[in-house]
Amino acid sequence: MIPFYKLERYEGNEALFDLVTMSIVSSYVGEPLHLHAEGLRGTGKTTIMRASRQILPNITRIKGCIYNCDPEAPHCPHHRHLDLEQIAALGTEIIPMPFLEISHSTKVGTVAGSIDLSRLTDPAHPEAQLLPGIIPQAHRGIIFIDEINRLADTSPEITDILLDVMGNKPGHLQIEEAGLPVVDIPVNVSIWAASNPDEDPGPLEEIRRQLSDRFDMVCYMGRPDSLDILSNMLQENSHMHRVQKASQTEKVNDAKHEALRQDIIKWGHLYEQTDLPDFLRNYIARLYIKHNLESIRAIEAMQQGAVLHSVIKNRDKVQITDVTYMIPLVLKHRVDGDTLVRMINDTDSRGNKDGILSFRGKKNKPREEEEEYFANNARALKDMHRGELVNTEKTLTPN
Amino acid sequence: MMGEGTNVDKAASIGNYLNLYFGQEQGIRLGESTVVSRKAHARMPEKRVKGQIKILTNRDAGKKYLDYVDIDQVVHIDVYHRPGQIDPRDIARAIFWQMEQHFIEKDPHLQYAEDERFKMVADYANKIFITTNQGKGVMYELFQNVVKPYQEGEEGWDHVHVLARLNREEYYLVYVIAETVEAVVIESGIKLAKVRNIIHGNQKEERESYAGYIKLPWKNFKGQHAKQMPDKENVNQLILKLAEKFGGVDEIEEFMESYSTNVFKRKGVEQQKKKWGDVEHDIEQLQELGLLKDTPFGKILTKQGLQLKEFVVNHKCELETEIRRNTRKMPGSGGRFKKLGKVDQQSSAVQYTNRNKTKNNSEANWSGDLAVPQTVIQATKNSFMRGDSQLSIKKEDLHYYEKKSYIPIDVCLVVDASGSMAGDKRQAACFLAEHLLLSGKEKVAVVTFQERSSTVVVPFTKNQRILSKGLSTINPAGLTPMADGIETAVNLIKDNRVRNPLMVLITDGIPNIPKWTMDALADGLEAGSHVAQNRIRFICIGVESNRFYLEKLANQANGVLYLVDDLNKDNLINIVRHEKKNMMDSKRNLA
Repeated sequence: MIPFYKLERYEGNEALFDLVTMSIVSSYVGEPLHLHAEGLRGTGKTTIMRASRQILPNITRIKGCIYNCDPEAPHCPHHRHLDLEQIAALGTEIIPMPFLEISHSTKVGTVAGSIDLSRLTDPAHPEAQLLPGIIPQAHRGIIFIDEINRLADTSPEITDILLDVMGNKPGHLQIEEAGLPVVDIPVNVSIWAASNPDEDPGPLEEIRRQLSDRFDMVCYMGRPDSLDILSNMLQENSHMHRVQKASQTEKVNDAKHEALRQDIIKWGHLYEQTDLPDFLRNYIARLYIKHNLESIRAIEAMQQGAVLHSVIKNRDKVQITDVTYMIPLVLKHRVDGDTLVRMINDTDSRGNKDGILSFRGKKNKPREEEEEYFANNARALKDMHRGELVNTEKTLTPN
Repeated sequence: MMGEGTNVDKAASIGNYLNLYFGQEQGIRLGESTVVSRKAHARMPEKRVKGQIKILTNRDAGKKYLDYVDIDQVVHIDVYHRPGQIDPRDIARAIFWQMEQHFIEKDPHLQYAEDERFKMVADYANKIFITTNQGKGVMYELFQNVVKPYQEGEEGWDHVHVLARLNREEYYLVYVIAETVEAVVIESGIKLAKVRNIIHGNQKEERESYAGYIKLPWKNFKGQHAKQMPDKENVNQLILKLAEKFGGVDEIEEFMESYSTNVFKRKGVEQQKKKWGDVEHDIEQLQELGLLKDTPFGKILTKQGLQLKEFVVNHKCELETEIRRNTRKMPGSGGRFKKLGKVDQQSSAVQYTNRNKTKNNSEANWSGDLAVPQTVIQATKNSFMRGDSQLSIKKEDLHYYEKKSYIPIDVCLVVDASGSMAGDKRQAACFLAEHLLLSGKEKVAVVTFQERSSTVVVPFTKNQRILSKGLSTINPAGLTPMADGIETAVNLIKDNRVRNPLMVLITDGIPNIPKWTMDALADGLEAGSHVAQNRIRFICIGVESNRFYLEKLANQANGVLYLVDDLNKDNLINIVRHEKKNMMDSKRNLA
């Protein structure tokens, strides 16, 4: 596998690198950010997302807790009743941030949770216990779903679970198994998905509109179009290169990834202290009203995204460009192309003077012309004679 | 016009006049500032004379603004005013009280029947819709302070736009409404605007101007050079707009080539029209965007135009994906069509096993596709619960894989390619074919008929390339040999292994070239009966004016007739979807 930092960045995939980093930062501080990468075959959607596993920071959990309980805020059925002392007695451990995948052979039981067979068939102490599935196990981490459009098409039950998990932040998961009490837990999981809208069964929004709206941001991948980039890619992937360099560069890779990891932790702290300035919040709200957006999730995502974007650029103040950068990512899957282009052009980086934020030049030209459309004032009906009230095309047109 | 010496109430006599003129499909100017009709209204920017309002006789107001299906339900009252802001709530309240007043004047007894009176007015309040440049809503809601925001580009920014659902005998209320609205406008400190003249006419097909909001990297926008703008989205959107019109990337290239400097590739407007319909609008738009320019030798692509063409060629892959994505998009529900007839034919379903889902049903019999792992898990669990000393598998533990079934419907489009179908109708039929192929799992075939014979332009296929290639050869011209077209399609279906064939006949005419005899119409019916004999599911999509014949044809073919006002792509797609859904439902009912 090519190390994350060595993956080629170009215009078409740059946004995904940003989004992946933003989502990791956000998940690290406990706020999920759901991503969806769409694009043609072989544009590197899956590669980038899987490779980012290498830069995931560590998290601390209660020792042995399969639900990844945060020692400061335990949530799982085993630990949520315990007080701090009891937890301290249990001890903590440091694990890498979870990164799990949902595949196509998945079943409701494996995703949500099922009865633990090994305990059940234990000859000494058979016991009916719950084995949490992928989602609860990925708490405070990331779940990756490749080809989500196919999953949505073939497994509507799993889609329903995802809808619940992604519906709010934190999401919510209910595990039910015959013979066991119902378990209801909050889950903080960022869902990452990839799909090719051009392959069967088509783009996600046509299959399950709700699910597509749950994704905070969608990144449309482009193909690389520069020769240099392509030849670099080929080189990285050549067998000889991999065999020869693998042993030499491992240390370098680790060091680079460690640096990225430290950055993420630093950004995580920065994110906790950064807020959107009021005028930008106002501005986002105005976009919602003006362009008649349907989903509040869209503007929530825009706010979260704008702050995260400024954070990963090492800025402690959010700028308008952070917001405008988010517009296509947040809205492309939510509104039609016309509206999107109108919004982008309405708000582009023409500078504050000329943008939506200023009141100067509000009137556009056609309006002014139209204002003169009627030359004369009219009299009111009540001031007119009966005989003047009804006029037809014939009576109004001379000759 | 109106007599002076009468004791008939002003409002009532206006009501009479409205009945008279509306009956003749006309509108009137009421007083000086108000235009009333049952149609949509527009200004006439094309005319130099200002202050005129056009009454669009081919656009019913209820249909256009409120999506009603039946025409003549709604009276459209526009009170024009000079620039200024008017609160729709003021209008709603004023009309509310004025109506009440009017009812009392007419029937003084109502004065003491407050509930009765309120109910009467509230009834009307639910039937009146008001839009001003400050908001819109149903009068009843506006009265209660619920305002929906006004959106730019909607009716109502220079006039108070009132739609009232009134019966003929209630037209007297028009005067009450108009007078009240005027009074509110004046009270708001705004002058009424004088409508100089009204003119009746048809609305030309309205196409939106994309040049207005699309920005290309080289286009000056508000005096600033737009270099640093995110232009990718803009270029993409432009291509999508063009693709909507022309069909695909190849067609866009072909269109742009018509304006290259290479004389041999240039095509005249007439030639383009045949294939794509009216292209003038797009030419104008491209000119506005700086992609085309006038030269003494006609229009040619500018440097930027060539750049765009190059972009299209280089990014074909992504652009085609985007276009296909658009094609897959389902149109909004509804659609305006009338369905005549009903058929119930049996269709066969395909069953497959869903490995992701199992079910446990002890009531069912023992047969089925046994899901071993789930069964063992269940048995282990149940043994534990039952307190068995060892693992035992009982009937209640058995899990089976679920069976799913779907009904594949292979569609054969039989498209009229006579001269009258040229342009938009042709494009709509082509779009339907592409949409069906991309959005479903089934095969699609296209047969066209024109001049004196018919052709299979696309055999049953799942391959989009074959489809688009075939579609691009459709060049509408000539007469309507419908019998031949149907016969060819029947044979095509018979000769191929197709599943649950659905034949969709799309035509804007009736046959005028015979096949077997001298009577084109009778031959059409004869061909229709062959459809029925072969038990092929048949629907016909046609226009109201040919209803009489098409109904007979659909009957003969044991099929259904759909009538539309306009053979546009949304209508076509909605009809075929509706029909496919019917086929699935009827199967389910039979099962």
